[in-house]
Amino acid sequence: MEQASAYAIEVRELHKSFGDLEVLKGIDFTVAPGEVVCVIGPSGSGKSTLLRCVNRLEEPTSGSILIDGEDITDPDADVDGLRSRIGMVFQQFNLFPHLSVTRNLTLAQLRVRKRSKREAIEVAHANLERVGLSDKLDAYPAHLSGGQQQRVAIARALSMDPDMMMFDEPTSALDPELVGEVLGVMRLLATEGMTMMVVTHEMGFAKEVADRVVFMDDGIVVEESPPQQLLQDPRHERTRRFLQLVN
Amino acid sequence: MAMRGRQRERLFRAVMYVLFAAGFLAIVLVADWTLIRRNFFNVDLAREMFPDVLLIAARNTIVYTFLAFSFGLVFGLLLALMRLSTIKPYRWLATTYIEIFRGLPALLTIFLIGFGIPIAFQTRWHVLVNITLGLGIVAAAYMAETIRAGIEGVPKGQMEAARSLGMSKTQAMASVIIPQGFRLIIPPLTNELVLLIKDTSLLFVLGTTPATKELLKFGRDLLNTRANATPLIVVGVVYLMITIPLTQLVAVLERRNARAR
Ligand SMILES: Nc1ncnc2c1ncn2[C@@H]1O[C@H](COP(=O)(O)OP(=O)(O)OP(=O)(O)O)[C@@H](O)[C@H]1O
Ligand SMILES: [Mg+2]
Repeated sequence: MEQASAYAIEVRELHKSFGDLEVLKGIDFTVAPGEVVCVIGPSGSGKSTLLRCVNRLEEPTSGSILIDGEDITDPDADVDGLRSRIGMVFQQFNLFPHLSVTRNLTLAQLRVRKRSKREAIEVAHANLERVGLSDKLDAYPAHLSGGQQQRVAIARALSMDPDMMMFDEPTSALDPELVGEVLGVMRLLATEGMTMMVVTHEMGFAKEVADRVVFMDDGIVVEESPPQQLLQDPRHERTRRFLQLVN
Repeated sequence: MAMRGRQRERLFRAVMYVLFAAGFLAIVLVADWTLIRRNFFNVDLAREMFPDVLLIAARNTIVYTFLAFSFGLVFGLLLALMRLSTIKPYRWLATTYIEIFRGLPALLTIFLIGFGIPIAFQTRWHVLVNITLGLGIVAAAYMAETIRAGIEGVPKGQMEAARSLGMSKTQAMASVIIPQGFRLIIPPLTNELVLLIKDTSLLFVLGTTPATKELLKFGRDLLNTRANATPLIVVGVVYLMITIPLTQLVAVLERRNARAR
């Protein structure tokens, strides 16, 4: 039996092409348990693709991805089981609009975790409380603000008791005044010790919460270091130029 | 000086009104009103048709529509899923089916089910089976395309969100995609229902007994035995009493859908 990996996520030599377009050009990348890693980089650099490869929403072209030491690029890998252990939060929230907030949170618990209805509802309500939305149990997504919808989406992912959470620009679709409430929930998760991988343009959040910041450009990891260093004193010219653009 | 667009339009409309009024007047003056009243609006004959026109004919029309629609919905969903399948032979089969039964006259399919199959296989199905299949097979072909459009109309992020929670493709389809897809296509499906109500009038070719007549057959038989057109007017009104509320419902739903966007 293979020695269990020390990493929650371990990406080796990951390549991903869409037809002729090579989007990921050999990514090596790790996340330790309990670590918060922020991924930054210009539009089109492959950040979303990397995230989506990690839970196999995209099929990697080559390379390997180990989640808790288990190779998920293996053809026999249990992809559904894997995904249920990785919470994913999307830029566009992607709540189920035809279901109430509580039903959004219980659906996968019932179908995938096979929990009893009673237990699923208990878990759902506990997680809604965690994101500060105990008063919206029966609301429908269309009646919530963007910030509230994103917090429901986070609670939905948390209801599966994931080992780690991935966020793909969770605040980019929000009005500026709603960004804070979502980042607040994420900060809470980080202090609780959740393993997190966050694609974001919120440099303030990265600086404050991340253990490590990864800068990607053109399908490769250009550099990675603790936030203070990468954001204030980047080693590479490309990183410096990017940071000047966003600041 | 040239007329302004607005003025010209107003003049054009005035001329049209005059022409319509003249035409209408001509018809009123030329027509033989006693004859028309006797043949189209014979009150005694109309009264005689009740309650059978409702309790037998309208009821049969509604039952046949319901059976064919249910069959079309279930089979249409299956065809739509086959068309969207990643498995090529499924796609190919569904496409062939849809093309064939949308391309043939419905009457031909009804004949085929009612007479072709009994001859070929030496079997006789219950008349309701013939009716359900005769109309339902065609309805499924149309509904499959509508349902497919509904499923494709659900944003891609919905499937991804469901899959990212660990749901299988089938689970995601059943609890997330299909319920939303159907919501999108309630208006066009209601339209198909209206078409189907009218298409039940083709079922007479399967042969009827007094108890299995649908509306149009009921009206036509009276037209023949009584040599009077009043029964057609009566069943026409009954058809409209069923179809107009439905088309109105479609209009309301479409407006609501447009607002929800
Ligand atoms: N399904 C796809 N088919 C084809 N090309 C794709 C697909 N998904 C992404 N791409 C391309 O891959 C490249 C990287 O996309 P990706 O979404 O990973 O970038 P990103 O770093 O997340 O950018 P952004 O900050 O704009 O979200 C882009 O050029 C994009 O057009
Ligand atoms: Mg992206």
